[in-house]
Amino acid sequence: MEPHSSQVIFGWSAATLATAIFIAVYALVISEKINRAILALLGAGLLILSGVLTQEAALHGVDFNTIGLLLGMMLIVNITGKSGVFQYIAIWSAKKVNAQPLGVLIMLSLVTAILSAFLDNVTTVLLIVPVTLLITEELKVEPYPFLIAEVLSSNIGGTATLIGDPPNIMIGSAIGIPFNAFVTNLTPVIIVVEAATVIAFSLVWRKHLVTTEAARQRVMQFNEAEAIKDHRLLKQALSVIGAVIVSFVLAHSLHIQPATIAMFGAATLLFLDNYRRDADHQTKHVHGAFAEAEWVTLIFFIGLFILVHGLEASGVIRWMAEQLLAATGGDFKITAIAILWSSAILSAFIDNIPFVATMIPMIKSMASTFGGADALMPLWWSLSLGACLGGNGTLIGASANLVVAGLAERAGHPIRFVRYMKSCFLMMIMSIVISHIYLYFRYL
Amino acid sequence: MNVSTIMNPNPVTLSVTETFGAALALMRDRRVRVLPVVDLQGVYQGTFDFHDVWKTLLPKAVLLGMDSLTDLSFVSDAKDILTEKLAEASTRSVGEFLDVPIEPIHPETPVKEAMLLFYQHDGDIPVVDRKTKRLVGIVSPWEIIDSLR
Amino acid sequence: MNHSAAQAIFGLNPAWIATTVFIAVYALVISEKINRAILALLGAGLMILCGVLTQEAAIRGVDFNTIGLLLGMMVIVAITGKSGVFQYVAIWSAKKVNAQPVGVMIMLSLVTAVFSALLDNVTTVLLIVPVTLLITEELKVKPYPYLLAEILCSNIGGTATLIGDPPNIMIGSAVGIPFNDFVIHLTPVVLVILAATVVVFYFVWGKELTTTEQARRRVMSFQESEAIKDPRLLKQSLAVLGSVIAGFVLAHSLHIEPATIAMFGAAMLLLLDNYHRTAEEQAHNVHHSFAEAEWVTLIFFLGLFILVHGLESAGVIQWMAQQLLNATGGDFKITAIAILWGSAILSAFIDNIPFVATMIPMIKSMAPTFGGEQALMPLWWALSLGACLGGNGTLIGASANLVVAGIAERAGQPIRFVQFLKSSFLLMLMSIAISHVYIWLRYL
Repeated sequence: MEPHSSQVIFGWSAATLATAIFIAVYALVISEKINRAILALLGAGLLILSGVLTQEAALHGVDFNTIGLLLGMMLIVNITGKSGVFQYIAIWSAKKVNAQPLGVLIMLSLVTAILSAFLDNVTTVLLIVPVTLLITEELKVEPYPFLIAEVLSSNIGGTATLIGDPPNIMIGSAIGIPFNAFVTNLTPVIIVVEAATVIAFSLVWRKHLVTTEAARQRVMQFNEAEAIKDHRLLKQALSVIGAVIVSFVLAHSLHIQPATIAMFGAATLLFLDNYRRDADHQTKHVHGAFAEAEWVTLIFFIGLFILVHGLEASGVIRWMAEQLLAATGGDFKITAIAILWSSAILSAFIDNIPFVATMIPMIKSMASTFGGADALMPLWWSLSLGACLGGNGTLIGASANLVVAGLAERAGHPIRFVRYMKSCFLMMIMSIVISHIYLYFRYL
Repeated sequence: MNVSTIMNPNPVTLSVTETFGAALALMRDRRVRVLPVVDLQGVYQGTFDFHDVWKTLLPKAVLLGMDSLTDLSFVSDAKDILTEKLAEASTRSVGEFLDVPIEPIHPETPVKEAMLLFYQHDGDIPVVDRKTKRLVGIVSPWEIIDSLR
Repeated sequence: MNHSAAQAIFGLNPAWIATTVFIAVYALVISEKINRAILALLGAGLMILCGVLTQEAAIRGVDFNTIGLLLGMMVIVAITGKSGVFQYVAIWSAKKVNAQPVGVMIMLSLVTAVFSALLDNVTTVLLIVPVTLLITEELKVKPYPYLLAEILCSNIGGTATLIGDPPNIMIGSAVGIPFNDFVIHLTPVVLVILAATVVVFYFVWGKELTTTEQARRRVMSFQESEAIKDPRLLKQSLAVLGSVIAGFVLAHSLHIEPATIAMFGAAMLLLLDNYHRTAEEQAHNVHHSFAEAEWVTLIFFLGLFILVHGLESAGVIQWMAQQLLNATGGDFKITAIAILWGSAILSAFIDNIPFVATMIPMIKSMAPTFGGEQALMPLWWALSLGACLGGNGTLIGASANLVVAGIAERAGQPIRFVQFLKSSFLLMLMSIAISHVYIWLRYL
């Protein structure tokens, strides 16, 4: 990727223009006045129109492996969600613990964490939160601790795998880290973090979570089998998800990229769900499946990749990496720990996706300093743990948090910024401390 | 509490062979807004309500549900064409006006589910036996409210 | 375009795998049993999984300029459509001719042709057909001739410009033909064809279309100004649409690609339409603008580009081009006329998009035979005229035809295959004959 020749407009250098556009977009995204997809697209367009990148170079900067993987998984999960399997699991898990409030909280947290490891976090909470609100209403307990536990668990669980959280997808795709490497390097520490979080939660909320026998009986009478709306679709969806996950595990040895697997899995599921229908229904279903994908996120990603590529092509990223190295004195241990903590603190307040998109080329360019691409691996784990877990720090730290807050508000149980921060910022710090210890002993 | 405990087991029903005009007259006389339609064996075929009437009278183009034609604020308000349409429809059998029947509920459906359906679209809901598909009753909002008092 | 290394699966020749997958997808698309987007995705996935292409090579095969241009225009048109401007123009034009049935038919045909030249054909008919049905119901005339005329005119009008019809977008994007060249080379002949078609319609249907004075007055009392739902949005979207078209005209001299213009225009319109709204409304609107794009078409394009790229990198396309040249004896005139008529007849029965996608690399590879890329221009015009106008031959020849047939069926006015064929096939042959004369006189 050679830097683009610095064609200048209005006598500005390409680096100045790219930086100005990037900072303007970043600032406007943080201000939340204008939708981020619009901003990213406008920014990307300006980069091309002002001559920093050609359209071809801009497209070259887009990581279509990330886009394809995200889109494919969104399609698979949306279709699977229609079968009712997620409600089934949530109700089943609540009944397994006899609908005791504390048990339900722990079970739903674990279910959220596990689902988040394989599905997008936002999708997971969209599936789990409505059932949670239903159960807590029947139990007549405050939904707040349940929702908070699910937010935290979804961000924690998502960190465990390549496909669990967008930062991991971006890192995995940009560096070519296989699915299994995420499992062997991140899953162990995530299990510890999740266990610690659930235990801390139980201790804090134990006293508040009481219900009556009558309320408990109401939940025990739920008939989870009725939640399954389409048994045929359920079997198809679960086999496709199973096959997709097995393929992720085998992908590296078969030389197949994750996006191919996810998109092929989505196409197979669409095929299975549609081949018996008539042409009109097929069109409607296929269109509907794609229309339900989160386009705001996908378009934001596309714009962002172009913006970051503009910075990269004009040499700004390399300059930033040099500054970071200068600050850490070129010491690997300090760099790794600095990445972990600063990613966590920053991700608690700003969207982690643009942050990670900017960090990836920065860290990549450090390869020569630290002795090759392989030596950088601990830095990638630092970035992933910091950026994913940091999102738990505040209510605006991750998309899943905002989505749950939105749902809770509509259900009449608003989650306030300060109250959330009081319960969760310490939990986030605890998770980063655990990660710090893990990184230190295993890699540094 | 399920639907069987609160439903009206003797609803006013309509046979598929009755005319559109007769159906309108029955709705006016019995003061109901929804008529369940059954065949000769009592098997549920769908419901007849004002939705079917408006569908018959309105210009077809606006019923396509397309984004490019969602209102009629600009059309002429001549009533001649509507009068003709109503007269023409009145002699046809209701069977011709039934579209895909709304998913009926069953005697063992929880009342909460029925409440959710009322919340989503107003109108009485037919109750159909799960196996025989025969109409066994109807639920209106008042039956739910009354059962809670 | 370097050939991907021939990593064959099961020791099979990649050319055979590519050809088999391609033919299977093509045959299934023609059978219309399975949605074409699903088929194209599955086929593209198989190309990668069987090792004909790597994921990277597959992505390189996708013409994102075409995808971006289509998506951008879809977003712009969907937002513009909400302003009610298209209903306004349709009603205004019907009233201009005193709501005389024949006059209305001619006006609506011309309006359709003009819109189709600037917008996607399917979008145009989606906007015009409901108003047409409303007017014909009020006039108590049969809608069939109106719908037929609109189908034909939308395909004819779409041929006139780079952005009017997907084959033109694909040709323009793959070969780098600027917007203005399409206008200079195709618009004149399209005007002649449009005039000839309307005249034929006037003579064939003129006598049959009569109405009462009363019915005519009903239409004359339509208030077209009431159709404008959002004057503010109207101004914004017409301004953006105008700038986008001006951008296309100037694109070549400014070295900007059409996709950049269309996507930037879409982003601008989204910004104008949203900046004063709340964050939640913005997210909702932006999501919907993208969700309403025709994903079945876009995904079909995506898969198809990969399939054709598979054929290309396995050497099958070059072989096919060689066969075509052998058949025409390497004579330029015969090749041009063969492309025109061959495209027209084939496009009448099969989807012209996969056909054009296959023809583009074939024609490109003929450059050395005919003395360079510049010499190929008449072949591109022959392909465009044949593929776009050929779609008028049968009811299944183009997407717009099928869309109108679908709406007509739902409105209780089904259009039958044979009935359509009788009137349209001859008109299609007439249009190709006119094109033949034009190409012959101007280029050969």
